[in-house]
Amino acid sequence: MRTFEYLKPASVNKALALLDLYGDQAKLIAGGTDVMVQWKKRIISPQVLISLRNLAELSFIKFGGGLEIGAGTTHRALELSPEIREHFPVIHDAVSNLGSVQVRNSGTIGGNICNAAPSADTAPPLLVLDTNVRIASTKGERTVAIRDFFRGPSRTVLQTGELVTLFSIPAPLPRTGMAYSKHTRRKAMDLPIVGVAVLLSFEEDLKTCRKAAIALGVAAPTPMRAANAEAFLAGKPVDKTTLLEAGKIASEEASPRTTIRGSAWYRKEIIRVLVRRTGLICMERAKGAARS
Amino acid sequence: MSELFVGKSFPRADAEKVTGKAAYINDIKVPRMLYGKILYSTRPHARIKNIDTSAAEKLHGVRAVLTGRNTPNVRVGFLGDQEPLKKDKVRQFRDEVAAVAAIDEDIAEEATSLIKVEYEDLPPVFDPIEAMKDDAPLVHEFDARGKPRRNNILPLPWKLIAGDVNKGREQSAHIVKDTFRTTWVHQVCMGASGCIAQFDVNNNLVFTSVTNVPFGGKDRLDMFLRNIGLKSSTRILTPFVGGSFGSKLDTDIYEFIAVLLAWETKCPVKILFDRHEEFTASPPRQPAIATVEQGCDKDGHLTFRKVDMILDNGAYTSWGATTPSVMSIPVSTLYKVRNIHFEATCVYTNNIYAQAMRGYGNPQATYVVEQSMDQLAEAAGIDPLDFRLINANEPYTESPMRIKITTCPLKECLQEVKTRIDWENKHGKRDGRGVGVASFLHVGGGARVYLSDGQGIIMKVNDEGKLTIITGGTDQGQGSETIIRQMAAEASGLRYEDISIVLGDTEICPWDVGTHASRHLFMVGNAILMCAEKIRAKIRDLGARWMRSIIEADLNKKARRDPDFKAPQIDWSVLENPDNLDVCNGEIFVRDDPENPFLRMKIARVVRKAHLLGTGRGEMVTAEAFYDPPNEMIDREGKGNISCCYTFGTHGVEVEVDKETGQLRILNYVAAHDVGRAINPMLVKGQIYGAAIMGTGYGLTEEMLLNAGRVMNPNLLDYKLLTAKDKVPIDAVIVEPIEPSGPFGAKGIGEPACVPSAPAIANAVYDAIGVRIKELPITPERVLAALKQKEEEGV
Amino acid sequence: MKLTIGFSVNGDSVEVEVLPHWNLLKVLRDVLELTGAKQGCGEGECGACTVLVNGAPVNSCIYPVLEVEGKEVTTIEGLMDKSGRLHPIQQAFLEKAGVQCGFCTPGMIMSAFALLKANPDPTEDEIRHAIAGNMCRCTGYVQIVESVQHAAAVMSGRSQERAGKE
Repeated sequence: MRTFEYLKPASVNKALALLDLYGDQAKLIAGGTDVMVQWKKRIISPQVLISLRNLAELSFIKFGGGLEIGAGTTHRALELSPEIREHFPVIHDAVSNLGSVQVRNSGTIGGNICNAAPSADTAPPLLVLDTNVRIASTKGERTVAIRDFFRGPSRTVLQTGELVTLFSIPAPLPRTGMAYSKHTRRKAMDLPIVGVAVLLSFEEDLKTCRKAAIALGVAAPTPMRAANAEAFLAGKPVDKTTLLEAGKIASEEASPRTTIRGSAWYRKEIIRVLVRRTGLICMERAKGAARS
Repeated sequence: MSELFVGKSFPRADAEKVTGKAAYINDIKVPRMLYGKILYSTRPHARIKNIDTSAAEKLHGVRAVLTGRNTPNVRVGFLGDQEPLKKDKVRQFRDEVAAVAAIDEDIAEEATSLIKVEYEDLPPVFDPIEAMKDDAPLVHEFDARGKPRRNNILPLPWKLIAGDVNKGREQSAHIVKDTFRTTWVHQVCMGASGCIAQFDVNNNLVFTSVTNVPFGGKDRLDMFLRNIGLKSSTRILTPFVGGSFGSKLDTDIYEFIAVLLAWETKCPVKILFDRHEEFTASPPRQPAIATVEQGCDKDGHLTFRKVDMILDNGAYTSWGATTPSVMSIPVSTLYKVRNIHFEATCVYTNNIYAQAMRGYGNPQATYVVEQSMDQLAEAAGIDPLDFRLINANEPYTESPMRIKITTCPLKECLQEVKTRIDWENKHGKRDGRGVGVASFLHVGGGARVYLSDGQGIIMKVNDEGKLTIITGGTDQGQGSETIIRQMAAEASGLRYEDISIVLGDTEICPWDVGTHASRHLFMVGNAILMCAEKIRAKIRDLGARWMRSIIEADLNKKARRDPDFKAPQIDWSVLENPDNLDVCNGEIFVRDDPENPFLRMKIARVVRKAHLLGTGRGEMVTAEAFYDPPNEMIDREGKGNISCCYTFGTHGVEVEVDKETGQLRILNYVAAHDVGRAINPMLVKGQIYGAAIMGTGYGLTEEMLLNAGRVMNPNLLDYKLLTAKDKVPIDAVIVEPIEPSGPFGAKGIGEPACVPSAPAIANAVYDAIGVRIKELPITPERVLAALKQKEEEGV
Repeated sequence: MKLTIGFSVNGDSVEVEVLPHWNLLKVLRDVLELTGAKQGCGEGECGACTVLVNGAPVNSCIYPVLEVEGKEVTTIEGLMDKSGRLHPIQQAFLEKAGVQCGFCTPGMIMSAFALLKANPDPTEDEIRHAIAGNMCRCTGYVQIVESVQHAAAVMSGRSQERAGKE
């Protein structure tokens, strides 16, 4: 019979010990919204599932200028967090429209990132926030910038025996606006055809771009930063024209594929449009934050 | 007397469903039940060289492994063009190659994975136009009778010719011609397909089925039993069904396979589809390539209409191939046009084959006709809504197909849309926002597609005064339990809460053609009226005979208990004639003296008296009726008045198009429907809302993506049903002309609200941005591509 | 090799033998014979299997059953009161025709139940957001939304006031 052993370690350390013990025979499971489906579809058939659900040490949102999110935090917890809604709306945008309430009650941000789908909704926000990913193993801890974390579709830098414990997000600069836009065929229960996160920090004039971060989902084999578009915006006044240009550059940087969910040319078009529109939301949000 | 039950929004009589107690096929287990699982082809077109089932047979818990090579060769299906298990050749990815029965689902699944099939690939053909060519690979080398086939065109030459199209062309001031394409969409019932087959001690098949055609299904299974050498017959049981939308009209291949497995193992066998299987192995609505040409004179009166359809039949034939019989109704009769030429060609390909889906061809046909209407209106320089008003059908007229239109408020529906969507102010702006309109007509009073279009009904009144209604219909969610009670309470005079309904067992229930073609309410309502009349007469007759003695006994009793009681003077003669009596709301009374408390009693008392007479001459109150309506089958020319009445309607849609992304937003949606009389306005609206959203999905998001015959999106993530967040603000407008042939004036409304959505949206998109999308669904990608092309062409 | 786990279902403690790869839905339906929750897709896409675990709606078809140990599960069967009276949400789905074929209904009602617990007076958008993971093919959601609105009004004693507006 096709089955697996399901282990529920009581702590991260115990989970790491189990990972060491079972090596490649084991797979981590958090909310199971991806893993259970992949198992049912016979995409994966691990002998052992090591569950991270219910590990309190992985499930927290710590806000103090910057932000620390335990990898086992559910999307729903993030969606309902007033701090995230107010101070990191780019995350709120992404998690509040990911799957359904049911999916968000189980699925976790760590699972979404480690599953490493090009369409992972939480990836572009974490990318623009310059998130550091803390990785633990029995040998100790290491930290990897999220932009170095993805290696390909369903592939990450994680080695056998490692698990992600924490996403650490530095405090944004003052006068920062951030937003995530997801282009879909329907308004819920959908993966992005393209997902775009933008973060813009302004000089005191609330016009000149001090820092721009643009991240794209489903634009390449991995979620990516649009470095050329960011470089273009830096130091420039942000308006419709510059954002339009930034969108064009980001679109050129992208290398999306044609799949049943969308054509490459269409994805490029949408990136162009969404970078501009999301940038405008960022401007509004930065101004709003400055007023309040 | 004003009506007590009909016309009111009674709550749904569905407490089982809201409590989780309703048992669907998924929920039913019987003792010793095995689980059946089917192995499907991995090739679109190939010879089967060898099937090795030895490993599967050895697996612990496996009770049977069947293939086309160890089962009787019996042809099934509308044209008999397939066998349940394919023996020599596969013609599509969903071809059933082997089947397993095992003690649990996991073992059954594992066993199928152990079956090894060797194939020799044959050249496939997936495009129906390619498949029509002389040198195309033959999907079927022989027909059901063993005669060699020359090509892939089905022997079903659908044709309807009326008047003279050439003459119409000559009379035309304006002519438009264009080609449109629709694609596969799936019924996507939330409850997937399934059945339980078991044989009783007499080798009769007891078949628990999700069918909405129990007696048709019984016929097909009975024939199948005969063909596999059994002399027994079938009893069909229908539990709660998780939606139908046409998918449960035919007996599907898995059902025959379950019968084979049950016969082989002598155990009950259940086959239940998973969602992937539902998408890949249950037949959807077929795609059409339609060329439509229409003309009008200088005043905008239609002069002719010519429609040629090519339907991708897939590899085998189910009811999908007969949908042109319904397509011919809108093609010939939607708006007044005398000269008609309609042809439809069904072509075998190595794609999945098609079945019925809500609207039965009408959505495809109306999609092309109504877009062409807009094109023609533009060519003639007439506002598209006015153009439709000029050509709108009129009550009590006959169309070129010999459709006899009775009540017809199409103009009212158009006017309702015009007002409510604010047509005058919104049409013709081309500013990214636009309004579009499309109408429909559909059968509303049955559809005689078989020699009978009848429905039987049995009623019995027990001595608590409760009425049991036994009917051959089924409920797949439309609300029979509620509306049958309403109509029966009205017609019989018994109380709404005292009515119970028995359906879902062909051994008990009287014969019925099936709950399809929007016919259920119309048929069951008329049958109820016929039957209830007999029940009333019988109750009145019993009243005339026994009310007096009951009343006298009551008075005597009262007098014994209360010495002061003075019995009233009663003219007993009034009770002697049943015509003086009436029944209403569970009581029998004197018609001209309804308030007289002494001459009024519960029906139960009369019936009980008749049961417990003490004389050996007791009676009971039962009645039966068979309503077979006065409609016609279509003749060899494709003409005939197939339904007793037709329902009309118009949808108006306002959209906003995002010119940068091609995305659409529906800002306003008016659905004006002729329903005859609304028996239950809330439930009527429920049908309109649900169907209009399904139609909107057809227009915007839904499509089965096939790549070289393989369904690429067999799941609910990539087959985009609309979710609750995809709000379409629908204003459902009920127009109620009282239909003389309908029960209480009602027409059927189950299907048609899904018909005009897609063309109305397409027309609205054109009004918004000047681009016509001629393919379904209208995806943002297609809209943007069309906009870019228009830009490049500099139009 | 079966394992024994204990949890609570609709207030009753249960102990069941399970295989590790089973999901919660399978155990509810096949072992505990609580067949109200349905399998519509088996992949967490349709919501027909929605039940509450510790008050939160989840897709039980992809919820590993071993994770339910020690937790409280609420299913559609747990909504009626002890005397068998329908819960106001169940009643509202009948009165406002939020049910047609009924297959999505148990899951739909559980999502509505969780919503109204957290938010007794939701807006239409909030209702649609909360039930977006419950697919329905029959109703087009219009009368489902109306049912939830009606239930909210009844449950918070605003039904009179609402009824007056209609």
